[in-house]
Amino acid sequence: MSKLSEALALNNFAVVAELTPPKGISVAAMLAPVASLKGKVQAFSVPDNEHARMRLSALACCRLVQEAGGEALLHLACRDKNRLALESELLGAAALGIENLLLVSGDYVTLGDHPDAKPVYDADSVQLLQIAGGLMAGRDSTGQALDGSPSFFLGAVVIPEAEPWGPQLVKFEKKLAAGAQFFITPPVFDLEKLKSFRQQTTASAAKLLAAVKVLSPEEAAQAKTGEWRKVYAIPPDLLARFEGKDGNDFFQAGAELAGNLVGRIKDEKLADGIYLKAEGRPDLLGKILEVAGMC
Amino acid sequence: MIIAERKPFKEIAAAVAPYDKILIVGCGTCVAVCLAGGEKEVGLLASQLKLAAGLKHRRIEVGEITVERQCDLEFLEPLCDFVADFDAIISMACGAGVQFLAHMCHFKPIFPAVDTTFIGVNNAVGYYTERCRACRRCYLGLTGGICPVTMCPKGLLNGPCGGTLNGKCEVDLQKDCAWSKIYQRLELEGRLDNLKEIVPLHPHSRGTTPGTVIHPAYRRRYGVDE
Repeated sequence: MSKLSEALALNNFAVVAELTPPKGISVAAMLAPVASLKGKVQAFSVPDNEHARMRLSALACCRLVQEAGGEALLHLACRDKNRLALESELLGAAALGIENLLLVSGDYVTLGDHPDAKPVYDADSVQLLQIAGGLMAGRDSTGQALDGSPSFFLGAVVIPEAEPWGPQLVKFEKKLAAGAQFFITPPVFDLEKLKSFRQQTTASAAKLLAAVKVLSPEEAAQAKTGEWRKVYAIPPDLLARFEGKDGNDFFQAGAELAGNLVGRIKDEKLADGIYLKAEGRPDLLGKILEVAGMC
Repeated sequence: MIIAERKPFKEIAAAVAPYDKILIVGCGTCVAVCLAGGEKEVGLLASQLKLAAGLKHRRIEVGEITVERQCDLEFLEPLCDFVADFDAIISMACGAGVQFLAHMCHFKPIFPAVDTTFIGVNNAVGYYTERCRACRRCYLGLTGGICPVTMCPKGLLNGPCGGTLNGKCEVDLQKDCAWSKIYQRLELEGRLDNLKEIVPLHPHSRGTTPGTVIHPAYRRRYGVDE
């Protein structure tokens, strides 16, 4: 049983910190949060070519996280691999002792840095959850028996602020039926929307990790100018906190805001845990937890 | 129908530059409707080639012919003798037509004049949109007549991705999210239950290329086991 699944099973408020795999093989900066935070978080999460931008293999990064003393959460995107490769990667993860998974469709290739790459999507995220469940039961996606079956803690994404909500609910329910044990949201700034989602899904046995993000100056500028094309909104009063700030002051204000949000999410029981996105910076991740009173 | 777009003139001219006697073969069906490779486009390309050659003080002979369908043996066979007088062929048909013509006319260099784009519909003059990926397993009965394989860039079979925004697609915000449209349509029809079951992995083995279809009534004629 992974530390993350254990914490969530015991209803302890879990903390996952996202790392930023390098575009290259210099891994020291990526691993810096593991050294400084491994006693304070349950798992370090590693995106799989996030935003369709090519980075160091998430599986390799997860192994490095483990060697540095942390527990890993591996993302696996349907975009880049067919079912053979997905299954093989899942078995590889299990063989390396990685249990926590976040199974996603993956942003489309034309949005990333290899726009001419062939998009795969042989499986979708629901089917990938089924595949992983099948492996846990000792069978591959064709029904062939495995020599030793893996143990996973299966995660998926849900979009509480999705508009329209109906299609998202269809997907959420299918993910639950396919065996999702926990869900991670996109970054949350509007807690009322998170609260509303939580009330609608209380019957679900799956655990919820709400993502909290340290905004970058570029993102804040986009949100102000209406160029925002994310699946989450930022209330104007929160954006106003960044007025007149730039450079490190901006990030510090972002970490403080994130810390406040984490504190409220925990106190108001809006989620079972938190997923921190702070550009993989140990100082910002540490500050969020400090402001939230969690270290 | 098949939608195609004419290649840039520069590319076509470069391909046939070594030849003095060139036959341009148009197709009177899909590519004529989408204004890429019908009789008018054959005439236009012939004029362009002759003008370009003239500017380089070259004399070339350009033949023009348009058949009803280049993808149909019935219409191609009569062409074979006609082709003999030329050094090279430019086909303005879709990729199927180009290949069928190449197969019929041995030892003649053949060059495509269009890029075959997709299977789509003719919304209005000059405006065509994709509708089908010929995936060999049609889901339209389940999804309210809107194809998730084609209309969702990711071809997702079990609902929208996380990037859909206000009913628009993450890949192009000018386009509708296929799954928002599927949901709306099934809701209107009172058939949302269609979306409860998880659709299994797509059987891609059916799509192994090149595909062949033998109509059941003709299996004996073509020596296929019943």
